[in-house]
Amino acid sequence: MSDDEPNTDGTEPRTDGSGIVPQDDQAPTWSERKQRTQGLSRLTYEYFERSRREDEDLRQASDYVERDVLAFPTWPHEMIRNLAITSFFLGAMFFISAAVPPHLPGPANANSTPAVILPDWYLYWSFGLLKLTPLNPELTLLGGEKLVSDRVYGVVANLVVVGVIAMVPFLNKGAARRPVEEPGWAALGVGGVVFAFTIAVLAVKNLVTATFPISNPELFDLTFLLPLVAAFVTYSVLKTMREGYMFELNRRYFRLRPPK
Amino acid sequence: MADEFAKGFAILTGGGMVWMAISAWLTTESFEGTQLIAQPPEDPGTYAQLALLLRDVTTWFVIFGVFAFWIGIPVFRELRAYLEDDAGA
Repeated sequence: MSDDEPNTDGTEPRTDGSGIVPQDDQAPTWSERKQRTQGLSRLTYEYFERSRREDEDLRQASDYVERDVLAFPTWPHEMIRNLAITSFFLGAMFFISAAVPPHLPGPANANSTPAVILPDWYLYWSFGLLKLTPLNPELTLLGGEKLVSDRVYGVVANLVVVGVIAMVPFLNKGAARRPVEEPGWAALGVGGVVFAFTIAVLAVKNLVTATFPISNPELFDLTFLLPLVAAFVTYSVLKTMREGYMFELNRRYFRLRPPK
Repeated sequence: MADEFAKGFAILTGGGMVWMAISAWLTTESFEGTQLIAQPPEDPGTYAQLALLLRDVTTWFVIFGVFAFWIGIPVFRELRAYLEDDAGA
């Protein structure tokens, strides 16, 4: 009776996963088991009871010393969940396609150009990078000429941004589990997300300046200032939270595994 | 708590899809014009009237259902737990 009982005599709890695994407090009592005698509740109960039992058997048969992380098996646990989610979206798609009237537009008129030409909204960031004309320097060496045309400059800006994003996984492997653990990288990420938004707004600057009381140069400056402000605020807030977070983390860790 | 979220979410998606189907037929001017929340037709037939009634019902079903399961019931439970804690301490 010494192994499968939780420690109540003041000795240190065993945290290395050895010994028989006791039932957790989620497991039903005998009176609760007797109430579930029929129907779906019985089936559900048997299913989870069996999976719990299999889990426990697996834990005891395992060679690993650290046994507290054993994933759910793909069949049936994961598959049933995935099928449920798939059925939900399939049902929604069938319902919408059957019940909502389709829009049948008239044929396009090749002789008239639309007033506003834009890509789909998720490409606005790339479209905005084509509008960096004020950043393309006029070189005195070339007599006020630009080294590359504004169009080429915009395309190169796309390559630069995509290149920087592609480099991030090689610079940081993502060991931090929460932003507060690496405030600098979190600030970079927030700045990047905000820049993706502001550069997308810059892509529709003709619509923005027509709707809101803001001029083109102001919008252009905000496009690059807002990401910097967001990154700065993120960094300072996370840096401030860091000490308290590390204190909590250490306290929990040493409560779980007392130092020898 | 996760159960209550799923119930509210089911109400939102299920009721919202019915609302959207009716609105797409009856309160949509055109693809380019106002969609889903335009004025209903002046002289709806009997079936359209029924559908518009169902549209109103689903509107309030979604609003009250989501409010009840995502805000009302959790707040009530938190309050009860807080009061019980207070009484126990």
